[in-house]
Amino acid sequence: MVALAIILSMVVLVLAVLVAGLLRSHADILKALHDLGAGVGEPGNPHGHPGPGPAAHPTGVPLTIGPPLPGERNSTSAPAIAGVTPGGDALAVSVTGGDHLTLVAFLSSGCATCAGFWQAFRQPDQLDLPDRTRLVVVTKGPEMEIRAEVAAQAPPGLAVLMSTEAWADYEVPGSPFFVLVDGRSGRRIGEGVAHHFHQVAELVRRADADARDFALGASASRPFAEGLDGPERERANDRELLAAGVLPGDPSLYPSSLDDVYGQGGPRTAPVPATTAEPTTRAG
Amino acid sequence: MTVPSLRAHGIDAPLPAGFEGRIFVRPKTGDEVPYPVAHFATFALPDQVADFGGGAVTLMGPDDIFAVLFEYGPESVGRRLFDRQGMPRSLTTADFRTIVLRRGLGGQSGTQWFFTEAGRPFTLYVVLGSHARRGALVPRVNELIRTIAISPAGATTAPSTASAGAPWN
Repeated sequence: MVALAIILSMVVLVLAVLVAGLLRSHADILKALHDLGAGVGEPGNPHGHPGPGPAAHPTGVPLTIGPPLPGERNSTSAPAIAGVTPGGDALAVSVTGGDHLTLVAFLSSGCATCAGFWQAFRQPDQLDLPDRTRLVVVTKGPEMEIRAEVAAQAPPGLAVLMSTEAWADYEVPGSPFFVLVDGRSGRRIGEGVAHHFHQVAELVRRADADARDFALGASASRPFAEGLDGPERERANDRELLAAGVLPGDPSLYPSSLDDVYGQGGPRTAPVPATTAEPTTRAG
Repeated sequence: MTVPSLRAHGIDAPLPAGFEGRIFVRPKTGDEVPYPVAHFATFALPDQVADFGGGAVTLMGPDDIFAVLFEYGPESVGRRLFDRQGMPRSLTTADFRTIVLRRGLGGQSGTQWFFTEAGRPFTLYVVLGSHARRGALVPRVNELIRTIAISPAGATTAPSTASAGAPWN
């Protein structure tokens, strides 16, 4: 009986050591994630619940995706797109200059979600894009796509390029992916994913409305106009918010619906499921 | 900044900033034998543009440029029209005239040159969106045509694009 008690005590002791080690390891992982700027809820919320909370110290390490951009570029740069057509001709599209928007659709010939977009592009009059919007489809290059399959999907009358380089230039994480470029500023003004084209069209209309607002001058954002990006853009935005009296924790920083952003009857013209059409931004 | 380059059908064209372009061969119809055509523009080229700019020149703004490099069949080599050897690489404002237009549009002007390069007969046709602004536009035209390279017939490279960008590109 005594021997059994001793053995059980030893087992409990070993298990206790193991649990302590696991807790220590977990704490180290959480600390590392915290240092990287990742966490649950608002960084400043000690309880980890999303929503308004006291401002916390800034997380200094931006999360980046993919390789670093060349020095002359940032995450809003919009380089020209050059590639080949499925038919074997060469094609280059300049997305900057002029008074138009360019919607670049990064698609694949084989992805199931892309099929709906290829189909939608066959009826350009039903895309419901703003008048001054140019649509360009970009697949990966012939070394990664089969020309004949892209050609079979490509709608007549639509610019379709094959360029793996463009996918790298625009940091495309996968297909389908959409990038909207404002020719006037020569910068990307929106990017993201969607499951249906009407979601993309809605984002384009909103971005178009925003771009027009910025173009009016009176309400133009200086960071937007100056093309600031990354930490500089955040600092400039913080300064403008502070100057406007919007302090950390202000309820206006935590909208719960589109009406909170645009107000009743704003530029929103159709419901947008935010969970499936999410514009993204990157630092770097 | 990355310089996109168009390369197809034996024509290699690095594009200056603000230019876009297309090098293509139209599908063969009937007895016609199509040859390469290159379009360059500082505005958004529609998908369907006639060989000499029909459907595009009407979209030009006063600061725009449209250029065509059009190849003729080998039977044209040696004809007087194509006596000039080599594409002009530097044009002057005096080369542009309002009457040298395939389609006369108010305010525009153009220039056209026939030549043979690398044993291939071509015509170069350039339209300025505004003749009044030719002083500013002609240098941009020269920037474009200065670096276009034409390979001999039969030595044409496979259609591809190249970039002088960063290694990760």
